[in-house]
Formats: sequence, structure tokens, C-alpha cells
Amino acid sequence: MTTTASPLNTRAQAAPVRASSSRGSRGISAFLTYLSHGAIWLYVLLLLVPIYYLVISAFKTNTAILNEPFNPFAGLVLDNFGKAWEQATLGPALLNQAYLTVGASVLTLLLAIPASYALARSKGKLGGIVERIFQVGFLVPAFAALVPTVMLAISMNLFHTREFLILFLPAGAMPLSVILLTQAMRTVPAELEESAVLDGASQMRVLWAVFLPVTMPTTITVIILNFLGFWNEYFFSLVIIGPDPALRTAQVALPTLSMTNAAQYGVLAAGIVITLIPVYIVYAIFAEKMEGAVLAGALKG
Amino acid sequence: MAVIDAAPTEVSSAAHPASPRSQTPRRRSVWKRNAGLTFALPALVWFLVFTIGPLFSLFYFSMTNWRGLIAPRTFVGLDNFTKLFADPVLHQAALNTLIQLVITVPIVVCGAFMTAYYVNLRPRGHRFIRAVLFTPVLLSAPALALVFLGVFAPTGLVNGFLDTIGLGHIAKPWLANGDSAFIAIIIVILWASVSVSAVMLASAMNSLPTEVFEAAELDGCGHWRRMWLIAFPMAKGFVGVITTLQFLWTLFTSAAVVLLLTRGGPGTSTINLSFLVYDYAFNKSKVGYAQAIAVILFVLGVLGLIGIRRLFRSKP
Repeated sequence: MTTTASPLNTRAQAAPVRASSSRGSRGISAFLTYLSHGAIWLYVLLLLVPIYYLVISAFKTNTAILNEPFNPFAGLVLDNFGKAWEQATLGPALLNQAYLTVGASVLTLLLAIPASYALARSKGKLGGIVERIFQVGFLVPAFAALVPTVMLAISMNLFHTREFLILFLPAGAMPLSVILLTQAMRTVPAELEESAVLDGASQMRVLWAVFLPVTMPTTITVIILNFLGFWNEYFFSLVIIGPDPALRTAQVALPTLSMTNAAQYGVLAAGIVITLIPVYIVYAIFAEKMEGAVLAGALKG
Repeated sequence: MAVIDAAPTEVSSAAHPASPRSQTPRRRSVWKRNAGLTFALPALVWFLVFTIGPLFSLFYFSMTNWRGLIAPRTFVGLDNFTKLFADPVLHQAALNTLIQLVITVPIVVCGAFMTAYYVNLRPRGHRFIRAVLFTPVLLSAPALALVFLGVFAPTGLVNGFLDTIGLGHIAKPWLANGDSAFIAIIIVILWASVSVSAVMLASAMNSLPTEVFEAAELDGCGHWRRMWLIAFPMAKGFVGVITTLQFLWTLFTSAAVVLLLTRGGPGTSTINLSFLVYDYAFNKSKVGYAQAIAVILFVLGVLGLIGIRRLFRSKP
């Protein structure tokens, strides 16, 4: 799982900046170095312990969790997964989450790609204004508009449906997707486009055959970012799709386990692990890409 | 279409700085120049309808007396806001939000910056550290909250650990006590945020020129000074972005942590503004009032963003 970490390559050849300071105060500096190593590894440990506790608890009986909380081999069982799966109806919940994630991701791309193409090619003022709207929009906190969004769902006759979320989530993802894709499309060489136009290609054709292949890496970045955002979405799914077991998403179903299993952490832990599996699979496959994507998402703010 | 579109663009952008001589050709060229923008229209409309639209109606809803989503609304002007200022529950929530911001934002930014600097020195195990730091990115807010429900439960991780090391007598139900529950929420925010910010900063700082650091090292400049006097000013822009994101996270996303960990309790000890926006609207039948809180929250968010921008721009 340890990954060949992201865009480090640039500096890989350069001499590492470590080595201790050249003269004087060597003792103090060595001490500080040990201190910082210690501090970081303590922090890494603090990050890992709750995850370790979560994963081992998912496989243990309740008595074993209570009596030997850190022993990974005490009272091993697999029931927790079955119980979590049934009690929270995780089957349909995961399917709903997947439906929502895929639907919203596809719609985001369908809207964002043509928009970015237009913005990247536009040299007029209007294009700049539209781009600026998306740049500012990146920071608009949708959470504040929780209730007005519910009202919008009601007025569209889409309250308590997954489809409203599929329509709604792309709007929140639009600013970042458009900003990233526009920047990528600006790097497409003009000659490529001109030769396509000379060959009589339509706008759609130019976008599809010239721009899309060149900007594929950024498109994948955008897909990964949106996947993380949509798969993990909570509040809007909670208040708009609601608690109906046939419709609710995995993130909404998961907390119900904590209410029915107040004293049974094993079942809750198993439920959490189940909902994490899809994300971890994606991470395992796209680790490098994902780190790059999260970074890209932050930097374009 | 593409041909028509491509040619005038160059002409007009070249002619742009000079004032236009005749009106009609220019107007036509404006039209032509922006014709390609129709492709951007659906995305823009989507964004305006689903994000900006609800935000606008928020301001209207905040001026209504409104007791349930399907109940009728009556317009009451600024009544909700005058009530807000006299409401002790709101004062508590505002104070809690403020404390959460004041504690989490500086710790996350400084901690993440130092961690990022450390990771970029590529010490032994830095790949492993990076992978671990990335873990909280993958957790949804409910998963995060529920993991920590187990950590702080009466029979959970913390108390189990205290028992193991013989400190069982200080074990207590952490989430059932006001002060410790409030601290628990801050710990959860820090746990999830420092690492995420560190990952982003580490990648960003990776692009800083190495030569400067090498020169500083030759001059006998220790890591501490290199970190704060050289790396920090150079990475200031990124640090500003991280600060902004953390500010927004603590202000808004923490609502899910509060909801799933303590439901604001015991009593009102762990409520914050974003939690109240949800709780009042969906559990307490005070929808209009909740919208007034949302407006306050939104304004706080905008002011904070402007403040952070100011702080990190200025001096080179």
C-alpha cells in the first residue's frame, strides 16, 4: 500500500535538504531533530490508532472489544458484517450511493467539459466574467442554503428522490471542475485545433477529438475529486432523500447503526468498514492520482 | 461555426485596448466573439439555479415566521434577527463556534505546515507517513464521527487504554460531560484536518526551488529558521488557501461531527452555529429562525474569507 508518492519526482534528483547544520550548536540541533522525528511518529501513531481500533473491532465480539480492546486476535467473529449489512440495509444503501455518485459525476462532466472548452477558447470579456463567477463560486458554502435547497426540491416535485441529488450535486462541483478543466484546455496547442478546423471538423468534433484526449489527465483528476465528494456527501442526502431504507444512501444508513447498537461497537465498526471499502479500492488503484487531485482541488481556490 | 468564431477573436482582442471607432462592427464582433460561450451556458445556469438561487432565497426565508417545511410562512421583517441577539442559546453556539475556529485553524495550519516541511525532507519512512496522512481524506463526515463515537464511548478506546495503563480511575464517559465532549469535538476536527492539510501543503511545497534551501543550509541556517524564514514566506500563498479551507471546514462541515457525536449535548454544551442551522430547521420546527442563523453563518463565512485573504496577501 505504501505508494510511490505523487509529483515528487521533480526534486528526486536534487540533493535532499536534510543533513545537520554545519558548525556549532550541534547538540541542540541534534536534539531538536530527534524531537521532531518523535513528534511526527507520535502523530502518525495517533492517526493510526483509531483506524486500527475500528478495523479490529469490526472482527471481534462485543465482550472481546470490552475486555481486550487492543488485542486483534481476541474473540474473532464475522457476524458483525452480516448484522451491519442487514440492520442498516447496506445493500440497497450502497447501490443508492453508487447510483448517486455515478449519475452526478456523469452529469458534472457533461456540463463542465463543454463549458471549459468554451471558456478556454473565449478571449472576450464575457468569458472572463463567467470564469470569475466560477472562481468565486468555489468558495460559496452550500451548507448555509440547506433549507432553501429542500424548498427547491419540493417545488420541482423531486423531494424524497435520489434524482434531485443527482441534479443538485453537480452544481456544487461545477466551479472547481470548470476551473481545473479550463486551465487544462488552455494548454492545447492552437495548431492542433486549427488543423482540425481546416479539415472541416465541427466544434463538437474539435472538442471530442482534439481537446478531450489532451486533457484526459485533468478529466481523471476531476472525476476522482467528484467521486470523493459525492460518495461522502451527507447532509443534503439526509434532508432531501430522507430515511426511507429503499432510497437512502450509505452515508445516511450508516449512522442508524449507532442508534440501534448503542452498546455494540463491533456492528457499527463493521458497517463503517463496509462503506469505506469502495473508497479504499479507488484509492488503492489511483493513489498517486488521488493525492494529485486533492492538491489540485486545493490550489485552484 | 468554428471558423467564424476563430477569426474575429484575434482582431478584436488586438484592437481592444484602443477605443472603438465605429459602433456597429464592434457590437457584431462582441456577439460573434462570445457565440462560442453558448457551450458554457448550461453549466452556468446549473450553478445559478442550484447554488446561487437557494442562497438568495435564504435571505428572504430568514425574514419569515415559519414553523415547518410544509407550513405556511409569514413575512416578519427582521424579527428573527432581533430575537437572535437576545437568545442565550445562540450566544452559546456563537461562542462555541468562535472557540472552535480560534483553536482549530491555527493548530491545523501550523501543524500541517511543519508536518509538510518534515515530509518534504524525505526522512526515513516518508512514503509511509504520506499514506497514513492521506487516510482521513477518504473518511466521510459520518464515518469520521462514528469512528470517534467508538473512541470516546464509555467502553471505548480511550477508556480501554486508560485501563490498560492502570489509569482506569480517570476514565469517564467523555461525551456525556459538557467540557470533555466539547474538547472531544475539537480533537476530531484536528485529527481529520491536520493530516489532510499537510498532504496538500507537502505537495505544494515540493515545487519550491531547492537551491534556496541549500544556500541557507551552507550559511548555517538550522531547520527551524529555514522552515519559518524561508519556506513559510515562499509557501505563503498555499498556506492562505489551506487556512481558507480549514476555516470553511470548521465553520460548516463540523455540523455533521456535532450531530453524530453529541447532538449538541449534553444540554447545549457542544452546539455550534452550523449545527443549529440543521437542528432548528429539521428537529425544532423553527425553520425561519434557522434561516436567520444561516444568514449570520454565511456572513461570518464571507467576512472570514476576506480577512484571511487580506492576511495572506500584502507583504511579499
